[in-house]
Amino acid sequence: MKRFAVILKTEMLLFSRDFFGFFFTLVFPVMMLLLFGGIYGNEPVYDGADMGMMDISVPAYSVMIMGVTGLMALPLTLSGYKEKNIYKRFDAAPAGKKSIIAAQVLVNLIMTLIGILVLLIVGKLVYNIQIKGDIFGIFTGILFSAAAMFSMGFLFTAVGRDLKSTSVLCYPFYFVMMFLSGATMPDMLFPDTIKKISGLLPMTYAVDLMQGIFSGDGLSLHGKELIILGSLTVAFTVIGAFLYKRKDWT
Amino acid sequence: MSQEIVQVKNLDLTYKSLHAVRNVSFSVRSGEVVAVIGQNGSGKTSSVECIEGLRKPSGGSVSVFGKDPWTCRSEVYKEMGVGLQEAEYPSKIRVEELCRLFASFYERPADWNLLLTQMDLDEKRKRPVEKLSGGEKQRLSIILALMGRPRLLVLDELTTGLDPEVRQNMLTGLQNIRNSGVAIIMVSHYLDEAEALADKILYLEKGEQLFFGTQNEFRKFVKDRVPQEDLSENAPLEKLYLMIAPKTNGLTMEGIL
Repeated sequence: MKRFAVILKTEMLLFSRDFFGFFFTLVFPVMMLLLFGGIYGNEPVYDGADMGMMDISVPAYSVMIMGVTGLMALPLTLSGYKEKNIYKRFDAAPAGKKSIIAAQVLVNLIMTLIGILVLLIVGKLVYNIQIKGDIFGIFTGILFSAAAMFSMGFLFTAVGRDLKSTSVLCYPFYFVMMFLSGATMPDMLFPDTIKKISGLLPMTYAVDLMQGIFSGDGLSLHGKELIILGSLTVAFTVIGAFLYKRKDWT
Repeated sequence: MSQEIVQVKNLDLTYKSLHAVRNVSFSVRSGEVVAVIGQNGSGKTSSVECIEGLRKPSGGSVSVFGKDPWTCRSEVYKEMGVGLQEAEYPSKIRVEELCRLFASFYERPADWNLLLTQMDLDEKRKRPVEKLSGGEKQRLSIILALMGRPRLLVLDELTTGLDPEVRQNMLTGLQNIRNSGVAIIMVSHYLDEAEALADKILYLEKGEQLFFGTQNEFRKFVKDRVPQEDLSENAPLEKLYLMIAPKTNGLTMEGIL
C-alpha cells in the first residue's frame, strides 16, 4: 500500500509538470466557462426555462474534462511509457507495470474530479449556477461517464502500435466528440444531420447524463445513458485488455 | 560453500520465426561473476531477459533463487537488481524522485543518498533524468539496480558509451559488490571488463552456447578450435575471442574516399 502511495504521488507530480494535461484539465474548461458565460450569461436556456445557460454548460464542460484525461492524457502517457520501454524498467523491479497503469488511471481520475470541482466553484462564484442533483447521483454520473472515456482511451492505447498511431486515434476522436457531443456547445444548436452523428458518439450520452443529473433528474430517468455507457466501458475494457496482453512488452 | 543462485537448463527462446536462443545451460553461484559475450544478435540479451523474467522461455527452464522468474517475478525481484540495456524513465522525473520511487519498492532499501554520493550524482539529484548525460544515466541505472540490496545483479551492457575513467570506477565498484557475496551476470562487448571481473565466461554465437567455463578453460577451448595459432598463456581475452568469433566484412573504405 505504501509502495502504491509513492507511485501515485510520483505520477501526480509528473501530471502537474505536463503542461498539456494540466492546462486542459484545470484551466481550459474554466476559460470556456468564463468565455461563454461572458457571451450568454446564465440566462434561461429558453423562455420560461428554470435552468440557465451556464447551469447546463458546467456539466457539459465536466464531460470535456473527462475527455481530456480519458481520451488524451491517459492513453498518450501509457503509450509513451510503452514506447520508451518504461514499463519494461518497472517490470524489472518488484513494482511491475500493473502498478504504474493503476496509478495512471487513478491520477487521471483524481485530476478529473479536481477539474470538475474547480469548474463548479468558479461556476458557483461567478454565475451562481444551480446544482439540483444529489451527491450520489452526481458521483454515479461522473463514474459512468469517466469510465466510458477512460476505457475508450485504454482501447486506443491497446490498438495503437506506438505513441504516434495512438495519437492518430486519440486526437480525431477527442475533437470530434468534443464539438459534436454537446460538451462545448449546446446540442440544441445542432442541425438534424449533426444531431444524428452526435447520437453515435459515446460522449453525447455522458453529456446527456451529466446535464440531466445536475438539473435534478433521478438516475432512473437516465437508464438508457447508464446502460450505453456501462456497456461501452465493459466492451472497451475487455477488448483493450485482450489486445494489451497480446502486445510485446519487451 | 557458495550457494547456487541461478540455474539455466536447455533454455530455448523463439520469436515468431526466429530461433533466438537454443539449448543454453549454465549456472551462477553467490559471489561469482559470469560474463556473457558474443556478437550482436547472438542471443545475449534474450538469454538474460529470460533470467530477469521479462521473457517467457519457449523451452527449457530458468531458476533464480529456486523460483521461476517468469511466474514469481515480484518475489525474485526482492533479491535481484537489474540494469537494462536501454532503460528510459518518465521524462519529467528528477533523479531523487526516481530514487525515492524505486526505494519504495523494497522493504529494506539501500541508502540511496549514499549511493548518489558514491556514484558522483549528488549534485544532480534535482536534475530531470532526461537531462543527464549517457554516463550519468548509466550510473543512475546502477543505483536503481542496487536499491533492493540484491543478492543477484544482472547488468546488460552497462558500461557501453562510458568514459574510460568512469568505466574503470564502475569496474572497481562491481569488484567490491562481488566481494560482498553478490552474484553478477554481465553482458558486455568489452572483453577487458570480462577479463578483469568474470569468474566464468558464457560465449554465445547465433543463439547457441559454444562455451561456458572459467577463463583458463576458455583459453583451452580457443586453442582447441584454432590449433594453428600460437597462443601465449596470458593472451588477452579479446585476442582469444577475435580468433574464434565469426568474421565480418572488413570496412576498408576502398572506393569511398
